[in-house]
Amino acid sequence: MLRPVSSLCLSPSVKLKLVRAGFQFTTDLLHLRPGQLSAEAGVSQQEALQVLQAASADAAGGGVTALELLQKEAELKSIVTFSSQLDEALGGGVPVGKTTEICGAPGAGKTQLCLQLAVDVQVPRCFGGVEGHVIYVDTEGSFLLQRVVDMAAAAVRHCSLLAEDEEQRVAMETFTVETILSNIFLVRCRDYVELLAELHLLADFLSARPKVRLLVVDSVAFPFRRLLDELSQRTRLLNGVAQHLITMATSQHIAVVITNQMTTRLRGGQSQLVPALGESWGHAPTIRLLLHWEGPRRLATIFKSPSHMDTTVQYQITADGFRDTEQPELPQSKRRQT
Amino acid sequence: MVVLREGMCPGLDEGLLRDLRAADVKTVEDLVSSDIEELAQKCSVSYKGLLAIRRVLLAQHTAFPVSGADLYEELLSSTAILSTGNPSLDKLLDSGLYTGEITELSGGPGSGKSQVCFGVAVHISYRLKQSVVYIDTTGGLAAGRLLQMLQAETSNTEEQMAALQRIHTFRLFDVYSLLDCLYSLRSGGLQQASVGGGSVKAVIVDSVSAVISPLLGGIQNEGMSLMIQVAGVLKTMAKDFNVAALVRVTQSLMCSALNARGISSVNPNPSQDTSSSYCFET
Repeated sequence: MLRPVSSLCLSPSVKLKLVRAGFQFTTDLLHLRPGQLSAEAGVSQQEALQVLQAASADAAGGGVTALELLQKEAELKSIVTFSSQLDEALGGGVPVGKTTEICGAPGAGKTQLCLQLAVDVQVPRCFGGVEGHVIYVDTEGSFLLQRVVDMAAAAVRHCSLLAEDEEQRVAMETFTVETILSNIFLVRCRDYVELLAELHLLADFLSARPKVRLLVVDSVAFPFRRLLDELSQRTRLLNGVAQHLITMATSQHIAVVITNQMTTRLRGGQSQLVPALGESWGHAPTIRLLLHWEGPRRLATIFKSPSHMDTTVQYQITADGFRDTEQPELPQSKRRQT
Repeated sequence: MVVLREGMCPGLDEGLLRDLRAADVKTVEDLVSSDIEELAQKCSVSYKGLLAIRRVLLAQHTAFPVSGADLYEELLSSTAILSTGNPSLDKLLDSGLYTGEITELSGGPGSGKSQVCFGVAVHISYRLKQSVVYIDTTGGLAAGRLLQMLQAETSNTEEQMAALQRIHTFRLFDVYSLLDCLYSLRSGGLQQASVGGGSVKAVIVDSVSAVISPLLGGIQNEGMSLMIQVAGVLKTMAKDFNVAALVRVTQSLMCSALNARGISSVNPNPSQDTSSSYCFET
C-alpha cells in the first residue's frame, strides 16, 4: 500500500508544498536526490533531506517479543514506599518505567507520599533500593524541606539499623541526609506554561543526569484547573503531557509519579468525589492510587492498574513519614495538616 | 496523483518525460485528464504512442471489479474467527474476533479494556499458536501480567515462554511512530513478525486515542487527518492480510471513522483471574 506523504512526521507547511508539487505518496520521493526534490517542490535543501530520510525510514525493527519485555521488566526495580502493605499491594512498590497517579482530597497525604518516595528512591542497592536521583516538580508550593529532612533522617536511621555486612556499612557512609538532599532536584512551576516548558526541557536534564529514577509532579491538577475558559485546549494539552510523561518513563526507565486533586461529580442527584481533570485524563496514568479517609482511618486504594488487583490498605503518616499502621485493629493515625 | 517517472510503463522515456514536463504534465492524473491530441501536437510525439501510454497508466491505476460469488468464496476460505478466550464475550461477538475486521473496544478508565486485550493476546498465542502484534501507546502493557495469565493456563514454563515469544510488542507514544510502524508492518513487517511462530492473526492497538487526542481540539486540524490515516491503514491491513485488528479507544471518538464493531465494557473491576466474569453489552 502506498503511504501518503501527509502521514510523515514533517512540518505541515513542508507537507503542503510536497502535495502541491504532486508528491502524494512516499514512493514518488524514493528515487529523488535532495537537490532535485528541493528544486521541484520548492523546499530548502535541508528540508528536502529531512523529507527523504523520513520517507525511507523503516520502523518495523523496533519491536520486541513479550518474552524480552518480561526480562526487561524483571530488571527494573520498584521504589518502596516504607509501607509494607502498600508495597505488597503494588507488587514491590511504585514501579520504575511506569506512570503512577496519586489522587486524594486535601490533607489525605499525597504530598507526604511524594516526599517519602523522593527519599526512598535513594536507598542504596545493597538494601534493596533503587539508588537513584529525583526530579521534583512542585506546582503547588507544597514542598516542605523541613519535612524532607525529617523523612531522610528517619530513612537513614532505619537503614543504619539494618546494616549488617561490610558492603552495607560502606553504603551507609554516603547515605546521609546531606546526600539525600543534594540528589533531590526541585523545580518550581507556577503555571501550566512553565510546567509544559519544563517537561520539554527535561529530556536534556535527564541525559546529563542518567541516575535520575523518579520524576514527581505535585500536582498536575493545580496549574491546569485554572485554565478553565478553553476546555478543549486543556484536554489537548493534558493529553500531550500524559504522552510526554509516558514516553519519558518508558525510554529513560524512570518512575513518574503525579498527584491529582479531587472534584465533585453530580450524577442522578447524588454527589460523588472523583479525581479531577476529567474522564479522558483518567486513561493516562498506568496506575492510579486513591488516598482517602474512612472515619479516622487513612486508606490507600489501587483503583486502576493493568497488573494489580483492586486493593485497599491502611496507612498512617507519622513524624518519620509514610508508614504502615502498627495495630490495624486499633487505628492510631492522627490527622496531620500538611 | 502519482508523479510520472521514467520506466513506469513502456515508451515513457527520458526525452518524452522532458517534453511532457515542458507542457506542464507532471503526474499521471495530468496525463490522463489532458487532451491527448493537443498534447501530441505540443510535445511533437506520436498520438498513438501517447494513447498507448495513457491506456497502460489507466490500467495500472484502476481497481478491478470482482464478482460477488468469487468474493464470497474467498471470504469463506480466508476468514478465521479468533476466540477471545472468554465464552460470554465470544457469544456476544458471534463466536469471536473476525479476521479482516476491526473490532473496537471502549470503556472508562480502569474498566478492563487492557485486560481484554491481554486476554485476547494470550489466548491467540497460547491456545491458537498464532502470532500477535501488540502496539502499546499508553505504557500499560505489563509482560508480568501476560505471564500471570499464561500461568493460569499452563504450568509448563517452556510453553509459557513460547507463547510470550509469539507476542510481538511495539511501544510507541506518538501518532507518527504509530503510523511509521503500521505502514512498515503493512509493507512486509507482518511476514517478518510471523517468522518462528504461526502467522500474525491479530494486531492489537492499545490505545489509539492516547496518541490522537493530544492533536485534537484547538485550532489545528491535522489531528483529524492523522486519525483517518490510522483508521485507513488498519482497515487495509485487516483486509489484505486477513488479520483481526483489535483497537482500544478511550472514548467514542473513533467510532464513525472506523465503522467498526464496538464492545464496551461496564464492569469496573480488572479482575486478577483470567476467566473473569466480565459483563458486556453491545
